[in-house]
Amino acid sequence: MLSKKLKILWLTAITCNGNTHSFLNYPHLDIFMDTFEFIYHPSIDSAYTLNDIINKEIACDILIIEGSISTEYIKADAPIVDIINKYASKVQKIVTVGTCASFGGMFRESDYKDTTGLHFDKERPTSLFEHIKEKTISLSGCPVHPDIIANTLYSIEKKRAIELDSLLRPKEFFAYTVHNGCTRNEYFEYKIDNHQFGKKEGCMFYDHGCHAPYTHGSCNKILWNEVNSKTRAGLSCMGCTEPTFPKGDFFHTKKNMGIPQYLPFGVAKRTYLTLAGITKAFHIKRLEEDLFDD
Amino acid sequence: MIKLIEKIEGEAKLNFSFEKGLIDFVEIEFLSTRNIEKILQNKNALDALVITPRVCGICNHAHLMASVQALESCYEELELSNRAKITRELTLNFEIIHNHFKWFYLTIMPLMGYKQYLLKATQPSQLMAKAIATIAGQYPHTSYSIVGGVVSDIGMMDLIKVENYIDKTLKFFEQNLVYAKSDEFLECNNSNKLLSKEGDLPNLVNKIKDNGWSNVGKSYDRFIAFGENSYFKKGKSIKTRLTTNIYIDKVQEASNINSYAKNVLYKERYYEVGPLSRAMINKTPLIKDSHRKYGDSILSRILARVCEIPQLLNHSKKLIKQLDLSEPSYIKPKIDISDITALGSSAIEASRGTLIHKVNIKNGIIQKYDIITPTQWNLANGTKESLGVSQKAMIGLENTQLAELSFKSFDVCSVCTTH
Ligand code: SF4
Ligand code: SF4
Repeated sequence: MLSKKLKILWLTAITCNGNTHSFLNYPHLDIFMDTFEFIYHPSIDSAYTLNDIINKEIACDILIIEGSISTEYIKADAPIVDIINKYASKVQKIVTVGTCASFGGMFRESDYKDTTGLHFDKERPTSLFEHIKEKTISLSGCPVHPDIIANTLYSIEKKRAIELDSLLRPKEFFAYTVHNGCTRNEYFEYKIDNHQFGKKEGCMFYDHGCHAPYTHGSCNKILWNEVNSKTRAGLSCMGCTEPTFPKGDFFHTKKNMGIPQYLPFGVAKRTYLTLAGITKAFHIKRLEEDLFDD
Repeated sequence: MIKLIEKIEGEAKLNFSFEKGLIDFVEIEFLSTRNIEKILQNKNALDALVITPRVCGICNHAHLMASVQALESCYEELELSNRAKITRELTLNFEIIHNHFKWFYLTIMPLMGYKQYLLKATQPSQLMAKAIATIAGQYPHTSYSIVGGVVSDIGMMDLIKVENYIDKTLKFFEQNLVYAKSDEFLECNNSNKLLSKEGDLPNLVNKIKDNGWSNVGKSYDRFIAFGENSYFKKGKSIKTRLTTNIYIDKVQEASNINSYAKNVLYKERYYEVGPLSRAMINKTPLIKDSHRKYGDSILSRILARVCEIPQLLNHSKKLIKQLDLSEPSYIKPKIDISDITALGSSAIEASRGTLIHKVNIKNGIIQKYDIITPTQWNLANGTKESLGVSQKAMIGLENTQLAELSFKSFDVCSVCTTH
């Protein structure tokens, strides 16, 4: 029975373990554990110790990597690069979880030498792991949503083809923008730009740094913890699924002559200006008032 | 003899030396560092609210709270609504509770020879994560608490949802941890009475007693807690002698030759932080009773940590009743942070104990940022002459299994220590 389960090695490098904990929020772990077995995981019990993983030959089907990677980083006395290479050659698929493991992320700035993601340094492709690139799927996010991890693993198990974007991310999750599905969309559409923190109303794009229209992800489609999202709650999207994360200046929209520095994907400055001009020509009382006003 | 301690949000090495079959010294080595403090330098002050949660995947919310309070302390005058204060306290409580379930079921039960009940850890911790997400957008890694309040404007229906998550978590506690009504549990001031009940907690603690380990893991019997809120009190307790006058500027960080983690002392002495310390300072009857009988042992530490679950759930219910949704969630500070040059600091109680953030900002740009985490207090790597708290708890034990149990009774977190 046991041997039929797909074997996963969950390896952590330079990380905060945020993806580990995000994954523990997956609501269907009971059935998940019927199909998969962790030969090692940072908090779930496993049949092997880290020393076993490093020193013995252990069968493995999927390698999960969490955290940014540096040739200098040593885990339990073994260079992380060696551990990755040892398993990468035998597994069917490699999955990077989190923006750190995918693009370098927050810990790209740590003190280790040349800290990057597995195949990318921000969006720039790196060569160190070129030989295993065709096996890799990047699941970016800081952290990545548990559904995205679990459903990607299931599709590997079911041997279904996964369509990836140029950064190796599954299109089904990353072709959307985080803006899709936000409850504040109307305020964005009609360019109501008087948002204040602490309010149900308003869109954070115009003044408060919301990155969602230029961030790929499904946060507002599949929702966090099955209930909410940052932008629905009133917090600007930080763009944490993108290779550029962390851009900095998170609560404030940088503008040049009144035009936001970053525009929604695919929207040219001219288009934006034309639309902005039109929205100036009318007022929508309902959207200028509080939602609960009579 | 070197033992690699795993699954503590990373790894640590314990290097034991034995004398006449007993541990006579142990060195604690954390194996990496990520330099978050340096990453914070020259960033916009508010960016700390996004960066510091990334210190730790399991206590990210505590870092957010410490960070926002450190920044707010840079203001001479800043208005915060009660609503914002209560909301912040609620979500931090939920994180603490979520953590304690994970620690009990993922770490301590397996160490005591039980199988790991993954779902018993994840079911209640997911409920608490949902409660945070309902208010703060997501868990982990939200930055919903900003200088001036909180960004969310939840409604009455959201609160009902949160109350239901609390009730469901309480029910889980009553059906798994201790088969008793949680009110009864909270009023209980006799640990023997608790241990006569059924449930995962009494079963585990009784196993510790049956093994003759009730006195294992004793350290200095010195406790400290700096974080103050409507539930936790600030103070230090040496044995049972309580003082409430303690000062953050007397907290020292000392570097450490063999480990990336810095040691933390108060007035040149090591203190234990965490649930047992909080209970001693709050004078929680059940834990005081356990302390009287078993001292600052693993047994008291386990009881104290699990005891915080129903305490904080109940307290959170009271807090929700005090929430006035007609108050603003956020009051825009009169001065923009880019005009602020100041030093600030904060101390809050995180799952594992006191967490301190110190910041120096110049025109809204971070010059220096200092983070002192709970694990640095408990897991200081001292010398033979001056042992850290967890080192002392391991000295004199006969084997490394017991030492690991003592070590992990502090709920060790490697990533926190190696920020
Ligand atoms: S991507 Fe974010 S959540 Fe993941 S390890 Fe890095 S900092 Fe932590
Ligand atoms: S707040 Fe952000 S996600 Fe929501 S509508 Fe505005 S831009 Fe889009």
